[in-house]
Amino acid sequence: MGRAGISAFVAFAVGLLTLLSLLLGDNPALFGGQPGSEVLAERLALPGDVLLRLVVIVVALSIVIGIANLLYVHVGRVARGKFYSAVLLASFAFTIYWYVTNRGDSSLLEAAQVPIESALASLLFFSLVYGGARVMRKRADIWGLLFVAVVIIVLLGSLPLAELAPVKAWSDWLMAVPVSAGARAILLGIALGTVVAGVRAMLGQDRSYRG
Amino acid sequence: MSEEFNWLDYVEQEESAPAPARRSGLRRFLPRLPRLPSLPRLPGRPRLPRFPGLPRLRRRRVDAAPGQPSAADLLGAQDERPLEALDDRLLQLRERSSADSQPEADAGQPLYDVDDVLVTPALLQKPGGVISADALAKAQEQQVELLRDIVGGATQDEGQGGRRLMPGRALFSLGALPRLIVASVLLLGVSLPFVSSNYAEGELPPSQFPVAAQGAAAVYSLLDSLTANDTVLVAFEYGPMAAGELDPLAELALRHIVARGAVPLIVSSSPIAVARAQNIIRAINRSVAAGGLSLQHGIDYFILRYLPGGSLGIRELNENFADVVRVSAKGVLTGLAFDSLDDMAAVALIAESAEDLRNWAEQVVPELEDTRLLAFTGMAAAPLAQVYADSRDEIFGLVAGYRDAFTYAEMLQAKFGASKPQTGQPEPEPASSNAGHDTQADQPDAAGAQAERAEATVRALVASLQPSPTAPSPTAPPPTLTPPPTLTPRPSNTAVPTATELPTATATVETILIVEVTSPQQVRIRRGPTRADDILRLARAGDSFEVLGANADGSWYNIALAPGLAGWIAEFLVEERTSTRAAFEAGQASASAGPPAGPVILRSVFRFSLGKTRPRYYQVNSPTTSDLRDYVLLRNRSQEIPRLEAMTLGSLAAALAIALGNVFYALGALRGRRREGRA
Amino acid sequence: MDETTVQVYSVLFVMATVLLVFTARFFQKRPGRRRAQRQLDGLERITGWTTQSIESNRPLHLSFGGAAIGGDKTPAALAEAELFHQVIKRANAGDIAPILSMSAPVMIPLGQDTLRRAWHKGDGASRVIWYPPNLAYAGAVTASMADDKPAAHIMAGGFGIELALMLDGADRQGHPSLAVSDRLDGQAVAYALADHVLIGEELFVASGAVSEEGRGRNDAAVLDVWRGLIILGATVFLLLEFSSQLPLLTWQLAAAGAAVLIALGAVMYRRR
Repeated sequence: MGRAGISAFVAFAVGLLTLLSLLLGDNPALFGGQPGSEVLAERLALPGDVLLRLVVIVVALSIVIGIANLLYVHVGRVARGKFYSAVLLASFAFTIYWYVTNRGDSSLLEAAQVPIESALASLLFFSLVYGGARVMRKRADIWGLLFVAVVIIVLLGSLPLAELAPVKAWSDWLMAVPVSAGARAILLGIALGTVVAGVRAMLGQDRSYRG
Repeated sequence: MSEEFNWLDYVEQEESAPAPARRSGLRRFLPRLPRLPSLPRLPGRPRLPRFPGLPRLRRRRVDAAPGQPSAADLLGAQDERPLEALDDRLLQLRERSSADSQPEADAGQPLYDVDDVLVTPALLQKPGGVISADALAKAQEQQVELLRDIVGGATQDEGQGGRRLMPGRALFSLGALPRLIVASVLLLGVSLPFVSSNYAEGELPPSQFPVAAQGAAAVYSLLDSLTANDTVLVAFEYGPMAAGELDPLAELALRHIVARGAVPLIVSSSPIAVARAQNIIRAINRSVAAGGLSLQHGIDYFILRYLPGGSLGIRELNENFADVVRVSAKGVLTGLAFDSLDDMAAVALIAESAEDLRNWAEQVVPELEDTRLLAFTGMAAAPLAQVYADSRDEIFGLVAGYRDAFTYAEMLQAKFGASKPQTGQPEPEPASSNAGHDTQADQPDAAGAQAERAEATVRALVASLQPSPTAPSPTAPPPTLTPPPTLTPRPSNTAVPTATELPTATATVETILIVEVTSPQQVRIRRGPTRADDILRLARAGDSFEVLGANADGSWYNIALAPGLAGWIAEFLVEERTSTRAAFEAGQASASAGPPAGPVILRSVFRFSLGKTRPRYYQVNSPTTSDLRDYVLLRNRSQEIPRLEAMTLGSLAAALAIALGNVFYALGALRGRRREGRA
Repeated sequence: MDETTVQVYSVLFVMATVLLVFTARFFQKRPGRRRAQRQLDGLERITGWTTQSIESNRPLHLSFGGAAIGGDKTPAALAEAELFHQVIKRANAGDIAPILSMSAPVMIPLGQDTLRRAWHKGDGASRVIWYPPNLAYAGAVTASMADDKPAAHIMAGGFGIELALMLDGADRQGHPSLAVSDRLDGQAVAYALADHVLIGEELFVASGAVSEEGRGRNDAAVLDVWRGLIILGATVFLLLEFSSQLPLLTWQLAAAGAAVLIALGAVMYRRR
């Protein structure tokens, strides 16, 4: 068995263990509720719990990789004369300096990050509306028309204006029936895809984890 | 992909063909062997062995696809020629296609031989890239478009749906005009209500939530039923993107919990959200500072360590709750000893997306027995969240968006504005009696903190007996600690010319004069009998008030809003009738949306204006005690109404922009389609 | 439905999926039985963009967004990595490696691994870029696009409405884009603003469609089978619900109708 084979085997074994543990563990009723079934169910649940806790720890530590990556990538880009990377590194250094010299002071967070991110969030409003105004530029067909019509009806229906009461009724119906049905269909598709992709990964079809 | 020509598919068939040596990057343009492309290959030229990992695109021979327009062919054909031997136009092509080079706006004459291939009538009439041309197969069309992109930086016509390779040099171009127009319309929409009330549009949200299953009213009543022994888990699952909408909701929920004497445990799966929670606590602390108090971490509230791992973190919270509550966000031991989430009185989730809501409902709720999940979310996620809340009875209630926040604030004001300390009853101590944390064993400093708080309470008590400088109204006397005088009606039907002092005698059978709001719009109750006076409060159709008097010409009624607080309402907006006190009070109790009572003084503060202005108001509570629970609801509400109006006008502007923009582009597409049909 | 029943159904569902995937793999190994996949406009463009990237020596930008391994979205993240693998493989003819960006630090190793495996020209570690999540990510990517001038953006991952900032930025700078999100809000934004869009489960069949050797194309059939069964189930359920209100409609009749529908579906599926 080559390296790829070993990786695939490990992935398959761990995946199966976690899956069984999550599906069968912690429910004695599955084993007929016999006297020993509680112990069995608990034992089955254990490996899944342990593995998931390990994942949580790894995820928590991955932020260190993120910062290392940020520095590594942007130092290289500054060397190639990329302006925004220089700004990024300068603000990174300044933030570190600030928090070292002013421990426990979160004024930088309030004075810089919160306003900047709020400004970005308000920019989103303009981006969304501008994008909405140009749907027909890219999709001048019946679907584009439908999309725009629903957007406008829902937007107007959300306004607290007495004159728009009939629009509100349409908007409520749209949101409750077709939009909600469509949303569920998309979610269902994603869920099915997730299961199939998960099984594929477990069977070693994907190359993502092969050595 | 099967019938149409696709050059990658095509290359796949060529795999067995001998592969020429590759030269990478710009080096393929550098002089090598003076050779013409049509000549047969020289013998002995090194060939790469077949290797499946190597890319296939460059392996084919130059003449592999006669008649197919391909940049690789055009450029590859010039591969081996010395640079100086190249045609001028090809030199330009080479420069333009090299990395990061900005195409000159008018670099010499166009590349006729290439452009001749590209400019087909069918393609030119392709309007805005929307309708596909019939003359070319899709794959061909893609290739032609691609070629146009590569060679046509300067010659490409943007109006024909091609893409600009590089951003234009000009600071301002006509292409940016639609963007500017849309941005201006939106900016105008959202900023006008802050400038003048002439543009105020839309009704204000109701002053009470409609009673509905899994609605906002359920959330309010559950939080309102908390007692001083309760602990509530508050999950912050939102970032800066939703902060404008969710900060007010989070703040109200926290203030409500603290006002009930309960202790919030704040938790989040994002470090940024933890910072937001700290910001909100700081805002609350600015309010309670008026009474010389402050919320203290470890006594009045807890911020727990953040939960890494997204949905796995939430699972962790659920399964190892005892571990999670043990450590605070700053890594200090909290001294809290809870076994499971069921020890919480409620779980309040403030989530940005319906997906977070789903995560919590699926990961956490099934494990809960008695504890309820209360959800706060934004307008964007509200429709889906509501559908989800309706279909799953685990979600106890849903409060959504800024309008609900306004209603929530109104309800809190109505409720807590009226609360008076009962001198006969001992006040439950907010923190010491909490079941959750063992103050003796784990909190050696808690007793000291309690003593300090008690001292601060006394200090603020003395302060509250002084007349408040922020309470200028003559009709609202400075609050005292004594129970309020029993509100006594005027036992007559006659209108009294001016408002008078309240009598202290209590009648046994009382007939009182009341007015009921009949206007379908929200009406304003003012401080004085003119339209220039400050607005104290808004009232809706069906609200009724006891009449205290009227002005000289009878065009304004003086009405009782709360014990010790009176206001004026215009006569034409209301209908006058008599009632008994008992019936009136019963009606008020059943419709708790009615006028909130209490030491509430509303003051006009908004003066800046370009046009005619309507006074803005905000609440300056004068707490009757120095209890934290009275101060915690002090909020500046001066911007609430302009914000609501800005949201309405902004949405109208957005709808207008979207409608007009799409009509414009649809007409353009139609015109293009007709022209194509004619051709 | 009590917990035990749900668990039993879950086990059965997963086992049936495993069986279907094995069957699909069996057909996959026989070239004659390889499935032709429905054409998806956005995926067809990838070929052109890759070529454009090669010819103009500008990188492709591949974005994972907030997708992350470790949670319930792990399979989606793996499917995105697989799609990117296929795209990078195609871009190999050029000299400039695609840029992979993500906002979940746990995806950095996966991104680097994907690039290392598919890109044959040296170390691509500096082409994998992480920025902090959501708005910060969107803002940073929009800004760094001005430096990198990518030939196209392929944004397949977990995005919320912050995707609007990136797509608007791409449009302003004249870069074409393909977007798909496993979150509904991001999907709506993608539909409105992206040049090309994939919806829902199309993300999971994308790598099969882009792959030169048709790898994994047969797994789309598994999705089709499940989807067909769900539609059928919903239809039958609906018929049974209304059967009492319609004359002559009994459950036997409904079952017979369903059987006919299954047969028709199977025949049409074969013929396609």
